[in-house]
Amino acid sequence: MTGWLGRLNRQGWPNLLFALPFLAVYAWLLIYPLLAGMGLSLHRANLFGGARFIGFENYIRLFRDATFLQALANSLLFVLMCVPVLVVLALGLALALNRATRFAAFMRSAVFASSVLSVTVMTIIWRQILAIDGGLLSHGAHAIGLPAVPFLSDPNLALPSLAAVTVWWSLGLPMMLFLSALQQVPRSVYEAAALDRATPWTVFRQITLPAITPALVLVTAYECALQFQVFGQPQLLTQGGPNGASRPLVLYIYETGFNQWDIGYAAAASQMLFALILVAAFVPQLAQRLWRRA
Amino acid sequence: MRRRALLGGLAGLSLAGCAPKDPRPAITVQRIFGDCRAHVPKGGAPTQNLNGECEIITGLLDRFEAENPDIRLNVNAVAWPGYDQLSAQIAADDAPDLVTMHMAVIPDYQIHGLLTPLDAGLKAQGVTPDQFTPVARRAVTMDGEVYGLPFDAWTQLFHINMNLFARAGLVRGGEPVLPRNAAELLDQARRFRAATGKPYLVQSSVNERAAFARNLYTYLLSAHEVIFPDPHHIRLNTPRAREVVGLFKRIHDERLTTRDLDYVAATTAFINGEGGVYIVGTWMIGNFDNEAAQAGRPLYRGYRVKPYPALFGDPVLPAFVDGHAWVMPKRRRTPEQERAAFRLLKFLSVHEGDWTRSGHLTSMAAVVGDPVYQAQPHRRDLMAITSYGQGLPTDVQRQFAIQAMLSEELAAAITGIKPIDRALTDAERRINDMLTNLS
Repeated sequence: MTGWLGRLNRQGWPNLLFALPFLAVYAWLLIYPLLAGMGLSLHRANLFGGARFIGFENYIRLFRDATFLQALANSLLFVLMCVPVLVVLALGLALALNRATRFAAFMRSAVFASSVLSVTVMTIIWRQILAIDGGLLSHGAHAIGLPAVPFLSDPNLALPSLAAVTVWWSLGLPMMLFLSALQQVPRSVYEAAALDRATPWTVFRQITLPAITPALVLVTAYECALQFQVFGQPQLLTQGGPNGASRPLVLYIYETGFNQWDIGYAAAASQMLFALILVAAFVPQLAQRLWRRA
Repeated sequence: MRRRALLGGLAGLSLAGCAPKDPRPAITVQRIFGDCRAHVPKGGAPTQNLNGECEIITGLLDRFEAENPDIRLNVNAVAWPGYDQLSAQIAADDAPDLVTMHMAVIPDYQIHGLLTPLDAGLKAQGVTPDQFTPVARRAVTMDGEVYGLPFDAWTQLFHINMNLFARAGLVRGGEPVLPRNAAELLDQARRFRAATGKPYLVQSSVNERAAFARNLYTYLLSAHEVIFPDPHHIRLNTPRAREVVGLFKRIHDERLTTRDLDYVAATTAFINGEGGVYIVGTWMIGNFDNEAAQAGRPLYRGYRVKPYPALFGDPVLPAFVDGHAWVMPKRRRTPEQERAAFRLLKFLSVHEGDWTRSGHLTSMAAVVGDPVYQAQPHRRDLMAITSYGQGLPTDVQRQFAIQAMLSEELAAAITGIKPIDRALTDAERRINDMLTNLS
């Protein structure tokens, strides 16, 4: 084979054919909708057409929209409330349960079990716990002579309550990721440290932490991307209230697009969320590289 | 033996797939009002809550199916209000044949040409717009054509626990004593609280997307306030609006109402006798009557329902009215399917009177004068609403989204999260931003 076809062949390009079905589906289901969404964000459009090109007007409108800015702040706050707690708790649990005992195996399953629940079931359970009318915590408070706390209807408590619920629900997967990373660390390194009489803190700082840093970065980036997309919990527990105090960006986008039919504007808000998630997903990796260089 | 049975089963399943196609025209009805098949057996009476919305509509559709064996009826019960699902179905060209729709929502779909005009089809079945009440006819008629079959008219009402009212000395001659102005309301509510230890009002205030807005509409319309100066603008920050919201805030501040309850919790609280007056719609009358008929229950022989009292010395009585209608989304149908859908509409219009057992007001002129309808509980107290009740202009789009935004802001004002003035200004800004950017 000669010429450009031969060169391509030598460079292994025909192998690309094996990836072509995946790439085609990826382009069709992800790249095309992404680009279409970007195009839509430049239009004034409703669910059933009527699209008119308006340039960046939707984006300008977004930054003047107090409800959008509140939802943006709520999303940022929610990620800040959830991700550090999730990472620290999941890592702590993984360290504690990284042993071959029956109790550890039971606890691993117990912690992971919550992640198996659908968001609907999970929110029903938590409504029974947090509701002021006959909720478990409300009963507990009354039993000891205290007033019930309106976890879901107090503007200062609604978002933290959703964060607590989310941490409980999402803890299983990051814990498993940390566990699998911990099990990759060779036992011989720990044995050498034991011979050197290293303290547990030194072992954690000098051996465990460097060894699981890629998993730490992965979990942080993944959880940031996931928690920016929170929707089911506020939709089912608080509907974004009271006074928008627990309305995150995805709920805002949903209300704008599907209740108000302002689909071009909702697409613009979606692009903002997309940019935010991209940044949030890259920050941990960037931090890791800078850390290594330092 | 086991293998033979398995093979036999598999062969049976394969043959079942070869069954001849059902030749009957199939139509799909999509409705709200809940799912209660568990206690409404097909072809039988409900085993509980005889006059509930869900029980009545389930029974009616079963009856249509039984009386019209030549039509295959698929019923799809969706969660209230069902419009997100409907929009997605229409966008995917998979709309049902008939859908329940609030009259206030019809313009959203009609203006985009998504609904089938019903005049000719209804006329062929002997149903004409002059059979509707004037309020209902106005609400379903756009550009001179009828886009929905009115099924009822509903409004919010004062549902009263007469047993608690009696304890508070608020019953005279068997009738509940209702306030004639805002000061009297506060006075009666304080007396009620002192006598019973319970709040006067039961209200849903958590995750509430409608009730507060409807309260405000009620007292703005009775003052002839122009809420929408044009279809793209709302006017809310007026002295009357501040006065109405201020009254509800005062009731909240003085703990004369329940707090922190969502809709389900508020309904349960009223049923369990946790307050005097529950402000909720006509749709609960059947359920509460059912409670009032059961010995030992807090509402036993102690339930009445009344229109909102006039509190601000207004020229007309207060009532904000909307209604449910049946609409037909546009889609390709065979002539047989279309005829089947109109036969169902005819059936529903004939049995609209049965539907009103739920507590809803009628939207059919003939039913208003029907002695059977008039003999239903509470009708004497409520019938006049069909003549004086007012709705919002039909050329205002996105009325459900407006209601949700307004309720959110009003809840914030009433519960003290933000000042009344700011809440009304914020509601105005949010709603006008949406309305001026409609496409």
